[in-house]
Amino acid sequence: MDFIWHIIAITCMTIPHALAYNLVFGKGKILHFGPIGVSLVASYAVVIIAISTGSFIAATLVGLISVVLLSLFLAWLSLRLDQDAFGVMTIAVHLSILAVILNWNGLTRGALGIPGVPRFSFLSSVQSFAIAAAVVSLLFVIALRLIDRSSFGRQLQALAEHEWHAKSLGINRTKVHVIAFLVAGLGALATALLFPQYLAFLHPNDYQYPFLVFFITIIVAGNPGSVYGVLLSTILLTVLKEALRFLPLSSAVMGPVRLILFGIIMLAVVYWRRDTLFPKQRSI
Amino acid sequence: MALLELKDLSLTIDEHKILQGISFDVEEGQIIGLIGPNGSGKTTLFNVISGFLKSSGGSITLGGEDISSLSPSLRAKRGIGRVFQNFGIFRDMTLEENILVALEALPKDQQKELGDLKEVVAGTLDMVGLSDSGKKKAGSLSGGQMRLLEIARTLKAGKGLFLLDEPTAGVSPKMTGQVADIIKELKRSGKTVLIIEHDLPFIGSICDEVVVLDVGKVVLQGTPAEVKESKELKEIYFGADPTT
Repeated sequence: MDFIWHIIAITCMTIPHALAYNLVFGKGKILHFGPIGVSLVASYAVVIIAISTGSFIAATLVGLISVVLLSLFLAWLSLRLDQDAFGVMTIAVHLSILAVILNWNGLTRGALGIPGVPRFSFLSSVQSFAIAAAVVSLLFVIALRLIDRSSFGRQLQALAEHEWHAKSLGINRTKVHVIAFLVAGLGALATALLFPQYLAFLHPNDYQYPFLVFFITIIVAGNPGSVYGVLLSTILLTVLKEALRFLPLSSAVMGPVRLILFGIIMLAVVYWRRDTLFPKQRSI
Repeated sequence: MALLELKDLSLTIDEHKILQGISFDVEEGQIIGLIGPNGSGKTTLFNVISGFLKSSGGSITLGGEDISSLSPSLRAKRGIGRVFQNFGIFRDMTLEENILVALEALPKDQQKELGDLKEVVAGTLDMVGLSDSGKKKAGSLSGGQMRLLEIARTLKAGKGLFLLDEPTAGVSPKMTGQVADIIKELKRSGKTVLIIEHDLPFIGSICDEVVVLDVGKVVLQGTPAEVKESKELKEIYFGADPTT
């Protein structure tokens, strides 16, 4: 039974980050490959402050500030770089954050990770984590659905389909990008508040590129931009990922098997949806 | 006072002079036709006026305000509406969303003046005979329907100056009549229009004045009748007459 609760907890902790990232990468068609970098900054900020001050309020506040600053930086980059250059730059941002965390031993303990992550008092069992994560997920589903159907959602979609046409209507690209990246950052923060507490351990290996591949697979498989589609694919792919643990494979083989499996899923979905995944920009 | 004033407008890209000293005024309520051979700089001039290309020199004044340094979205908020040559609608959005997204981008006070935006959307669809297709994706429309939707959307979004780039391009002859009717309606309602067209009889039937561009310069300006009879126009389109 605990395994079921574990799957619910893991799935519901993934949902806020996946849905919020979907707003930028899926609906906005912005080639943002740095969501795990944002999550990394949020997780370390929250955990380090929680351990050093003992205050979750202070930890959440610092996590929020760090996420807002990084999201604003990414939005600024997205407004100044071409799509391709922005994609490469976000990979570089992720890599740089990872390098800092792995090497700033005095603050982050580097590759050793941070054990003994303190928990909110009400998160004492797997069930309580599952319930808390489910509540947070539900709030994100409702919020992202409302955003999707709002004027902001339409403006983001219009910019994704044709930037010039959208701007000629008076749509402010700067404002739309800033909001989209901030929402994506909040999703990363929600997951960052729960995930390290659940494991009681924070390790940089949990923020490597395979996790980016996992998130991109979720969005591509769920139909980019679709709230319910990405919700469903998050549930199915997280369950699939966890169910692989039942295969009689050593832990050394399990990681590569997962990567290959998600690579195959992504390959298949991109092939079948090649015409609709990313709309062609029409020239003026 | 002229609604739009272009003064000595120029654009140089990689040492190529695309626009050279373009100057003319557009009075409020006028329809001005912009004609010229391919590559003469007509669409580029529209891109400069609407802010997508930054001019190398000169100024653009709209309603007395210098808008030369404003972004495209701010120029749109000042009242410049653009109809693109290649259908400026969002094909993955429904017809209703296509109109709504334009209305929602207006300043709040203009939105209030329009009243219930959903009613404006319904009225716009009705105007172009697409009331039953509101929930359909715009990509499913024919070229003519896309064009009608785009012009009607720009009209309803309350713009003061319309830049229409070949509004009859890719439109069937039957639909061309409907497009012309909407443009004439713009004129009747006192809107100001700058229109690029290759169809000279069409231009002659709706424009107050015609500006002829060639290699990025204004080479001729006058009423449609004056321009039609001019020797320069024939030279631009057909080359110099060897018998003269």
